[in-house]
Amino acid sequence: MTAYKKYIFLFLLSFVFACSQKQGVRIMPIDDFFKSQDRTAYRISPDGKNLSYLRKEGKNQNLYVELIESGKGKRITELKEKNIIFYFWVSDTELVYYKETDPVHRLADIFIINKEGENERQLTNNEKSSIRVLQDQLIDDKFLLVSSNKRDSTVFDVYRLNVRNGAMDMAAKNPGNITDWITDSEGKLRLATTSDGVNSTLLYRERESLPFRPIMTNNFKTTLRPIAFSHIKSNVIFAISDVNRDKAALVEIDCSTGKEIKVLYGNDTINVTDAQYSRKKQRMSFVVYETWKKEKHYLDDSIKLLYNNLDKLLPKTETRIIDRDKAENVYLVRTFTDRNPGSYYLYFAEKQEIRKLSDFNSAIKEAEMCEMKPVSYTTRDSITIQGYLTLPLNKNPENLPVVVLPHNGPVGRDFWGYNPEVQFLANRGYAVFQVNYRGSSGYGKAFVASGFKQWNCKVQQDIQDGVKWLIAKKIADPKRIAIYGKGFGGFIALNGISSGKGMYVCAASNSGVINLFTYLKSVPPYMKPNLQMFYEVIGNPLTDVDRMRQSSPLFQANNINSPVLIAQNIKDPNINSGETIQFVKNLQKRNVKVTYLETDGDTFYSKNDDSRQKFYLALAEFLEVNLKKK
Amino acid sequence: MPSEKKSGYRKNFSLILTFISLMLVLFVLSLLLAYRFSTKFIENEFVSEKVNVLEQSIEPYNDFFQKKLPEVSYYNGYLDSATASRFVDTVLLEYPFVSKVIFYDSEVRNTPVSDGLNTGKFSFGPKSIYQFGSFVPQDSVELFTIANTHNFVVGDDFNALAIKLASYIASLDTSSTPAQDELFSNFSNVRSNKITYLNIPRIEDLKTYKRMMRKDLKPQPVYQQDMLSFHLDPYKIKITNTRPRLYQYIKIEPLTYDPLDTSSSYFTTEITLPGPFSDYKLYFISSRSFVDKEILSYFWPIALAILVFYSIVVLVAFLIYRNLNINQKMFKLQYDFMNNLTHEFKTPVSVIKIAGNNIRSATGLTDRELKLYGKILDEEADKLNGLMNKLLAFTQIENKAIQLNRDQINMEDFIESTVESHTLKHPDFKFSYEVSGFNSFITDPVLLGSLFDNLVENAYKYSPADRKNLHISARLIKGKVVFRFTDQGIGIPASEINNIFKKFFRIQNQYNQNGSVGLGLAFCKELVNFMNGEITVKSKVNKGTEFKIVLPYTD
Repeated sequence: MTAYKKYIFLFLLSFVFACSQKQGVRIMPIDDFFKSQDRTAYRISPDGKNLSYLRKEGKNQNLYVELIESGKGKRITELKEKNIIFYFWVSDTELVYYKETDPVHRLADIFIINKEGENERQLTNNEKSSIRVLQDQLIDDKFLLVSSNKRDSTVFDVYRLNVRNGAMDMAAKNPGNITDWITDSEGKLRLATTSDGVNSTLLYRERESLPFRPIMTNNFKTTLRPIAFSHIKSNVIFAISDVNRDKAALVEIDCSTGKEIKVLYGNDTINVTDAQYSRKKQRMSFVVYETWKKEKHYLDDSIKLLYNNLDKLLPKTETRIIDRDKAENVYLVRTFTDRNPGSYYLYFAEKQEIRKLSDFNSAIKEAEMCEMKPVSYTTRDSITIQGYLTLPLNKNPENLPVVVLPHNGPVGRDFWGYNPEVQFLANRGYAVFQVNYRGSSGYGKAFVASGFKQWNCKVQQDIQDGVKWLIAKKIADPKRIAIYGKGFGGFIALNGISSGKGMYVCAASNSGVINLFTYLKSVPPYMKPNLQMFYEVIGNPLTDVDRMRQSSPLFQANNINSPVLIAQNIKDPNINSGETIQFVKNLQKRNVKVTYLETDGDTFYSKNDDSRQKFYLALAEFLEVNLKKK
Repeated sequence: MPSEKKSGYRKNFSLILTFISLMLVLFVLSLLLAYRFSTKFIENEFVSEKVNVLEQSIEPYNDFFQKKLPEVSYYNGYLDSATASRFVDTVLLEYPFVSKVIFYDSEVRNTPVSDGLNTGKFSFGPKSIYQFGSFVPQDSVELFTIANTHNFVVGDDFNALAIKLASYIASLDTSSTPAQDELFSNFSNVRSNKITYLNIPRIEDLKTYKRMMRKDLKPQPVYQQDMLSFHLDPYKIKITNTRPRLYQYIKIEPLTYDPLDTSSSYFTTEITLPGPFSDYKLYFISSRSFVDKEILSYFWPIALAILVFYSIVVLVAFLIYRNLNINQKMFKLQYDFMNNLTHEFKTPVSVIKIAGNNIRSATGLTDRELKLYGKILDEEADKLNGLMNKLLAFTQIENKAIQLNRDQINMEDFIESTVESHTLKHPDFKFSYEVSGFNSFITDPVLLGSLFDNLVENAYKYSPADRKNLHISARLIKGKVVFRFTDQGIGIPASEINNIFKKFFRIQNQYNQNGSVGLGLAFCKELVNFMNGEITVKSKVNKGTEFKIVLPYTD
């Protein structure tokens, strides 16, 4: 009997051990982080009766339409190995979709189809030009207002695209410098922006028959983004503006005078990034401003109520409304947190009901993901920098190996939310440190401008100060810090290793910019008007040669002594792949450990599983070798 | 001598002579061969090592060609005169063989140019031309501008590379990505003492260039291209002499250089320089005496090795010869021993035989005769017995077949009894003795007696009749018992003193014509060894001999 007890005890003991082992972190397969579900790009028809989405079946992706009431759906397109890059409802019964023809140049053919999958017609067959939709609702049941650069690849004219026969009539000819066209609530072209590269001017006309006249000129550092025309006064627009202030606010502008009438929402501490206008209620619904995450301020109590009800139905998660019907009754909602890529829901405002459509990525278990904490620190020149720190699960936040992850640029920022790359690195046991260094957007125009031409100077210092702050807080092990980034992030990573004086033990760059001169060269022809702006942000290749040379890793190969991982897509026309190969050769000649990887990098995320798997495997191994075995 | 030949002895002298002379011939021959080999080897090296010199000397050029030239492309056409000047400064500093650089700040456009290349609608011409170099005066840096075009000539390097570019673009396959080496060779032109390099634009730009050939593009595109023409001075190449002891002088000379006065007292060789320097060669020249030094320095270690080898062979031969000699001596000793032994046995046996014969043939023996014969027989039998005992004991001692007895003996009594027994035998023997430091010690009395008897007997035997004296001393010195037997005999010659303890060894003289087999002292030495002691001898010819025995003292 006692022997039995002993065995039972041992058995239980082994169980305890087995359970305690489970407390360690499961190393998840790479694909699980990046997987997106097979149904994407949900849309609601204007009458709120149909739901559409793209569905992936093997290599094929097709458009589906589903009756909301019954949930019955059917496939309406028959595409083989071609992607739909964009689609929208143009009426209650018809959809327009862009079929990708050249992923590298982002060229596509445009088709129209009805919701039963009948009457499919090709609208354009443009080999080289791109088409942007200005107004996504049909005018007179047959015209779509689009802008296209088919006449001249550097300028966009406005056309009325007849969806019945595909004819394109020019609605407005671009005198050469108009970069953007804006329609009023009736679809009339009444606003436009021109640019000489650095300064942009807002043009206005009261009626389409009158000529445009300039009302306001701003430097490119200043934001003035029209949101909507007011229904009440036809000469008033709502716009997000930081004219004469550092942080953007939602304002009303009188277009006849070009003067700002009043500030609807905004102050010196918050930066308004978005706003929503309700056509049905004919008033502004809310503004979005960014602190460490996006927040809403409601300008309409009924909208506030709507969102409060939604929050009650979907607690403890962020919600974003992706689409809604014309009557503003059926809403398409996406939820997410930092540890959950979230799900799609339908929200019926009147009934106060939600219906779950699908998870964004069902492979992600919230409990296995790591919390993304907002952090802030002060730099050597007393500027407060915001960032995010993601600590690996079940580990003491002491002496951790750290991967610094500078975001892509030149202007941009890291957001709070589910980031597969961050979670992947944290799952492998690294603390991930993201920095909204100088020049990042969302913190006011002065902050953005302070990062200009500072690529290897202040920007690099901001990140270094952040790492020093992490070391001072004893979170980071000063001997196990790596830096990795994509695009400009890769550029910062490689510069970090050449000028960081041993702060980082290794650097990884994915499609990193290694030469600023080449980067300027890659500005496409239709962006030529903006070249002067690029000169101001990146550097002028004629007057800032020395600074640009010092900032370009390609010229700094002699200062790199630590292991580097370099991945590039040699088919990318915007880079000069020979330069990267030359760079790798120069490093190899100096006996620097270089891992070089060629990806067939497709610009599209979900299509490129093999290439992605290859890259992240190489990255994981590279970090493992250089960070863990110390 | 003839008797020795018959008994199988051979003389080695001529053999040894032949051996030594053959060895000498071989030694000299191998030295000669080694020298010949060294000469050939160094002469071959002289010809083959030039590749290494070339590789080392041309390395900075390869570095320049592979690493520095592509750097022009890094600027993507954004080079201006100031930046180009700074770039050239680094080049001039790092690569002394670059003497001058001409920088063509040029443009690719759709409108024809007056200076440069126009093909179809594709035009490629310089905006301005600058030259940089250590010896370029400040006022002639700028060679060409749109306003001042007179310095541009049609046969310029610019046009040569522009034509190459145009034909490459015309044949460019826009559907595939060209390889890096293909691009490099089409954007550079290597000519005598000159390299012209044009920055390689992005593939997308090349495709645009191709379209520009056939039609006007809108808006009028203008692409910046930087062309740099590097003028090289082959005489400035820094020669790295990897074998300074092989090559006396290395010079850079034109390909046609071939001096008449290179007599046979000089070694020369040459190798052509690569790439833009191909009109020049490296010319290597060394005087014969210089090369001879290198040959010698190569030859010496080989000669030393040969010497060591032959020394070892000769040493081995000598050792074999010595061993054979020793063996021969040993054989002679045994032969003598056999002779002596036969003689020793023969005397008593013949005496016994005569006595026996006399007794048999005598008809009657008187009492006196009977006693006499009895005595003779008894004595001779004793002699034989003693001889045999001695042989037996010696063999036993040598093989350690007997046990060591340990008894306490009184030293004075022991010497007294020895002296007594010998004075009985030899009344003319005069003894004296002394004992100091101890009275008695523990040892084997039989062995010690045997030792004493032998030494006393020898002292008597090898002393002339008027000096038959022996002094025995026994002392305790530093915990050891030391006996000394000092006589005034004939002594032992210094040349023989090392041999007297050997078996069967006897010094040929009048004192040992009978009754000696050459075992006595060898027996003594074995005895002393057996008793863990030492025996040594000091002697002077005709003055006397002293044997010293040291034995361990146990009380």
